[in-house]
Parts: sequence; structure tokens; C-alpha cells
Amino acid sequence: MTAVKGVDFHLDQGEIVGLIGPNGAGKTTLFNLVSGVFHPDSGRLYFDSRDITPLKPFEICRLGIARTFQIVRPFLKMSCLENTLVGIVGRDDKNGGKEERRDEVKSLLKFVGLNNREKTLAKDLTLIEKKRLDMARALATKPRLLLLDEVLAGLNPSEILQALELIEVIRTQLKMTIFWIEHVMGAIMKASDRIIVLDQGEKIKEGRPEEIVSDPQVIEAYLGESDA
Amino acid sequence: MSSKKFWIPILFIILAIFPPFFLSQYWLHVMIISLFYVMTASSWNLIAGFTGQVSFAQAAFSGIGAYTSGMLAVYLGVSPWLGVLIGMGVAALLGLGLGYLCIRMGGIYLSLTTLGFSEILRIIITNEDKWTRGTMGLQVPGFFTEYSKASYYYLFLAVTIFLLIIIYWIIHSEMGLTFRAVLNDELAASSSGINTIRVRILAFTISSAMAGLAGGLYGHYLMLITPDIPSLGQMFLVLAMAVIGGMGSFIGPIIGSFVLEILSEYIRIYGEYHVLLFGLVALAMARFAPEGLMGFIPLLYPRPSGERAG
Repeated sequence: MTAVKGVDFHLDQGEIVGLIGPNGAGKTTLFNLVSGVFHPDSGRLYFDSRDITPLKPFEICRLGIARTFQIVRPFLKMSCLENTLVGIVGRDDKNGGKEERRDEVKSLLKFVGLNNREKTLAKDLTLIEKKRLDMARALATKPRLLLLDEVLAGLNPSEILQALELIEVIRTQLKMTIFWIEHVMGAIMKASDRIIVLDQGEKIKEGRPEEIVSDPQVIEAYLGESDA
Repeated sequence: MSSKKFWIPILFIILAIFPPFFLSQYWLHVMIISLFYVMTASSWNLIAGFTGQVSFAQAAFSGIGAYTSGMLAVYLGVSPWLGVLIGMGVAALLGLGLGYLCIRMGGIYLSLTTLGFSEILRIIITNEDKWTRGTMGLQVPGFFTEYSKASYYYLFLAVTIFLLIIIYWIIHSEMGLTFRAVLNDELAASSSGINTIRVRILAFTISSAMAGLAGGLYGHYLMLITPDIPSLGQMFLVLAMAVIGGMGSFIGPIIGSFVLEILSEYIRIYGEYHVLLFGLVALAMARFAPEGLMGFIPLLYPRPSGERAG
């Protein structure tokens, strides 16, 4: 079975690129290919002109690509502090003493809005808090490219606003490139510099948000479904 | 570490000096065997409780340590002191190999593979009786020229404390953090930059080395090494000790080992059924009280959640 076929794309540094498409279009599969969970049968992936196609997830992460998951995956039986520390340990740089790392964790948790939750086990968090924690752990690896898989799904309108603010801060303060899957169209159209549309595993359109929303092919792909 | 937490183990170590002064030879023997189980169950806990690799080869690795050291002593005249270290090394190497073999496996597949390894080893030992004396058992020399249970007790106590310090240090270090990350969610750990394959193999190797050392000591204490050491019956006992005590906690397997070993002395008269009984209790605990006896401790003495694993 082919989930993603012949998708050709590039990301420029500092860009926010949205990846949209109907359910089953292969968006998450594409993320899994980029992050090394799956390896493509054909085609290559380059990051900073380096071929990352054969690398394992942890190697790709250490090169600077971090991700969050569509269904959040914090380490449930570990505290927020420990969850975030894993990302720092994952960088595999030997510098920084124990205290220094702890301070870094604290500032990361504060950054994502989880201050005073340091000792709380991840399983005791609410959904948005778990998403924030996933984000803190991803940021702890010091990525240059952040893959966000439906961070807004399941959040209520005010939580969506909070999450968007956080993403905006990540982009402006941390100057990361963000590649972002989202079903909440209003949000992703507003936040993205560029949108890539997948349908049935193939890229059907790429362009600025205003071009995408008026494209007949995209509208058809979406209106085939009713939840656009 | 708070000063309270620091004093509790010191207190126990001081208390542990006294048993030879008042215990009978028989109960001193029970204490020595308990210490062997503490080492085996705690090292098993390191892979099963902290990285989630439920291996059935822990008794096999203690058998590897015992037979390596025993055969070196019998056939080559190697001192048991050196022999147990070589036995530990051989167990570590085989643990590395088995860990490597199991890297793509999880859950039941890993358990079955390690179970197979364990049975293969037992069959080899039983059948190669020219070298191992099979079920007759291999008579091996002890550590001390003058046999004294007290000397063995202190030897076992010292090595147990040493291994427990290493285990404590591991689980509270960044290495232990990566162990638990792998246990919680291997994909998320890998996506966070953790080399999960390395973590799993490392845990397997360390744990096997510890079991090998414990087994070597055990063999030279009993002075008779039989295929019972690497048997599945032994494995299930070790498993029951860790599960009943509390997998994934530092203290659980220590408590479980003493409780079950002492208990099995009392119910020994009913024959080998005690392993069956412990197995059933362990199953029930795994289902209804997965934190084991340790799970009941917060009711008496609340610990800060998540701050530490011990």
C-alpha cells in the first residue's frame, strides 16, 4: 500500500508551512517519513543539504528536527520535569551540569505555560497541558525544524488561541522553521506563510494561503468531505 | 536527597551487621539466600521494571555466572574470587548478545525469546554432563578455607549493597531517565533523541552482569551447582519477588525477596507448591496492585509524586 507518493516539497528557514488535506491524505505518514519512523521506498529527504533518508528517529532529532504527535505521547508515568529533561538528554551534548539542565527545564516549562507543574505526572495533566508538555519536550531538543501534528485538535476556542500564541512566540523568539499539520482551517491559513495540500498521498497544490482557499482543486478535495 | 532519605539506608546497613550474632545457622542461611535473591530480583527489575523488557533469562544469567566460575575453579583451578568476576563478564557478554537479538522485539516476543534462551541453556547444562555433571551437580570449592556462614553473610551483604548502590545510582541518573522514557513510550523517546536500541541493550548487559555475579557467589556458597540455578522455577520465583515487592521501584524487589524467601521457609513442608502459590499471588498483584507491596507504602508515608523512582 502506498500512503504517500511522489511528494516533492521544501521548507525555507524560518517559514511556517501548513500541511493540509482530507483525512487519510497521508499527512502524518509524511511526518513519519521526515522524522525517520518510516523510511521511503524511493526518493530522498535532505535537511541542510544532508541526506537524512536512512537515519533513525533519534539521529534525525539530534540533527535538529523535533516533532509532536497527533495523539499526544508524553511519558505518562514521568513528571513534567522528567519529560522535558528527556529532550535535553536526547541532544547528547555533554555540556551543562545538573543544575544548569534543571534550570533549562524550568524555563522551558515556563515558556510553554506549565510553570508550577514540574512535579506533576504527565498522566494527571489535561489534554492541552499534555500538548504543551509534548511541545516542551520537543523544544528541549533544540530543533531548527519543528513538526507539529494537529496541535489544535481537541482544544476549545480559547485554548486554540493560547496554542496559536505559543506557536507565534516559537516562530518569532526561537526563529524555528515550523511544518504544521492542521485541520482547523482558519487558524492554519492565518498563521502559515505557505500551504501544501495533500490528497490521497499526492501533493495537489502548494501556495500562499489566499491562493489555496480559492483553488478549485483544493475545494473539491475538501468539499468531497463536509468538515472543511 | 533529604537527610531523612539518606539515613534510612545507613540505618539498615548498620542493622544488617548484627544478624550473625544472634541468628541460628539455619536462619543465617536463609538471610544469605535472601541476599542472593535481592541481587537477582533487583537486577531483573532494572530491565523489566525500568525499561519494560520482561526477560525470562535472569535465572539463566545467574546460572551462567555460577557455571563459568564453578567450572573454571574445578577444571583450571581458578580462584573463586577471580572466577565470579569472569562469570560476571561472560554473563555480560551473553546478555549483550541476547539483548541485541531482542532489540526489535517487545512484549511477549521478547519474553518468549528469553524463555527459549533459558531453556536451551538448561538443556545444554543438563546434557553436557561430562563437563557440568548434569543434574548430579558440580561440586565446587568455596570462597573461604574455613567454612563459616557469618563470612558468607558479610560477603553477600557487601556485594548486595554494592550492586544496590549501582542500581540506585543508575535509576536516579540520566541513564535511568532514558530507561524509563523507553519503558513509557519507545517511539516518543526515539523521537526525542534517545538512542532506544542502545538504552535497551545497555540495560540488558548491566542486568545480566549483575545476575552473573550473584549466581557466581551463590554457586560457591552452596558449593554444589545444579541446573536448578538457571531453571525456570527459579526464574518465576525471582519474577514473583520483584512483582510482589513492586516492579519499577528500587525498594520493591528488596522487600519482595526477603518476604518470599522467608515465607517459603515456612511453607516448605508443603513441597514445591510454594512457587505455584507465589506465581498466583504475583499474577493477582500484577493485575490488581501493579505497584506491588510498594504501592501500599504511600498510604503510610506519602512520597512526592514523580520526583524520584525509588
